[in-house]
Amino acid sequence: MSDQIMSVKNLNFYYQGDVHAVKNISLDIKKNQVTALIGPSGCGKTTFLRCFNRMHDLYPGHRYEGEILFEGGNLLERKDITELRSRIGMVFQKPTPFPMSIFDNIAYGLKLKGIKNRAELTDRVEQALKQAALWDEAKDRLKQSANGLSGGQQQRLVLARALAVEPDVLLFDEPTSALDPISTSKIEELMVKLKQEVSILIVTHNMQQAARISDQTAFMYMGELIECDQTDMMFTNPKEKLTEEYITGRFG
Amino acid sequence: MASTIKREQNLDKLFSIITFSAAFLVLAIIVSIFISLFRESLTAIDAFGFFGFVSSTAWDPVRENFGAATTLYGTLITTLLALAMAVPVALGIAVFITELCPKVLKPIFGTAIELLAAIPSIIYGMWGLFTFAPLMGEYVEPLLQRVFEPIPIIGQLFTGVPLGIDILTTSIILSIMITPFISSIVHDTFALTPVQLKESAYGIGATRWEVIKDVVVPHAKTGIFGSIIIAMGRALGETMAVAFVLGNKHEIATSLFDASATITVTLANEFTEADTDLYLSSLFYLALILLGMNFLLLAIAKTFLARKAKS
Repeated sequence: MSDQIMSVKNLNFYYQGDVHAVKNISLDIKKNQVTALIGPSGCGKTTFLRCFNRMHDLYPGHRYEGEILFEGGNLLERKDITELRSRIGMVFQKPTPFPMSIFDNIAYGLKLKGIKNRAELTDRVEQALKQAALWDEAKDRLKQSANGLSGGQQQRLVLARALAVEPDVLLFDEPTSALDPISTSKIEELMVKLKQEVSILIVTHNMQQAARISDQTAFMYMGELIECDQTDMMFTNPKEKLTEEYITGRFG
Repeated sequence: MASTIKREQNLDKLFSIITFSAAFLVLAIIVSIFISLFRESLTAIDAFGFFGFVSSTAWDPVRENFGAATTLYGTLITTLLALAMAVPVALGIAVFITELCPKVLKPIFGTAIELLAAIPSIIYGMWGLFTFAPLMGEYVEPLLQRVFEPIPIIGQLFTGVPLGIDILTTSIILSIMITPFISSIVHDTFALTPVQLKESAYGIGATRWEVIKDVVVPHAKTGIFGSIIIAMGRALGETMAVAFVLGNKHEIATSLFDASATITVTLANEFTEADTDLYLSSLFYLALILLGMNFLLLAIAKTFLARKAKS
């Protein structure tokens, strides 16, 4: 089974106070594919996504049960969380440029990894910006503050920042919900292109987006995984009644 | 009908006049303070000029020769030393409370800091004179002297007889007084860091310390700067606490163990003794300079923040 990069087995997640937010989910994340997580608000899809890079560990009182297999081990038991997070990048809803220059934003993750050589940094920053289709717009203003970029450019900057450290997996948490349609389609194009190099997991409340860019889609409802299938199958011929009701817009 | 509308319009007008007068009063008071200080200073300004007064180290009531250099020096040196000590400590406190402190302890530390800010300065002065200064003079300063005096150049700062009533003790007490101001403002700006921004940094493999250093602190730069300016204004103007522990010596001190005088201390101590017009006028002149310094500081802060807001 070498076509999956991560494999979720019977995952349960509890927030502080034993709030059961992710219920017994098993799911394979395919290598070099885009996996979309859809479902109504509050269904636990973001919570599920944040298990993959152990973001929940920042807050007290959480509890994981089950396994997420990655690189031959359960990543929920790994001790080297910072190393794990540099392998599994994350892009958020709103663009989050750091309060520093464009160049430093992208070089930041590389510096954390201990890369100090100026020439190598310059090369990899350029490469990451090109991958995120931001190079042409940013190459003359690398020294300027990243806050001067537009929202869509900032989101591509954040994507470039995540790509610079060469992760295996990228997690997207509704990455285009704060963007205009043109910026949205640019990010979508990029995701489709980038899956050559990374495996992508995206949470979206936009079903058309899931249909446009993903290879497989998982539908979650109230913390449970209802159905997961090839995206074209999911949207044309769902097996579960609940899935059909959701994708035809009868609730959500 | 028409009369009700008319009455409401009149009420509106009255209300806007009342609020305008309240606001105008503030302006009027500031201007009148400036004017009266200036008028009272005129005798001294005539006698010594501006640069002559500011650069003169004389303070001789008998010969009626006055200058501001010694008190200006005392004011600036104690303020700067206090800032140098308070800023790192206050930043540390703010980082601890916002980022590291367990939730149960947060309110305890938060309240303690606020209490520190609420202590009246006269109490700091009394505590400084009766408890802290003897402690400094007997234990801390002799130790510092033994360690640092043999070192060339730096050693100069630790010469003299350590009595505890000196620049070092004063600066430490001032720094204790301004620390809560800095840390509470900085703490508030730290708390404004967007959660997603911090999570993004964690998300590419930053440790807690790296997130604080590279994201939280740079994001709060403006707040940090503002808090330092406010603290500096407070330290420049502090009178009671300083009057107790600085001595009142009009000399340019070269050792941390020397007594000194600040503008505020001089004003507090010497008005009762000012028996000549020129003496009295010179004190007013000092007050005018202090006010000017505070005004300048505020102006610098305002322009900096305005420029920051634009970019």
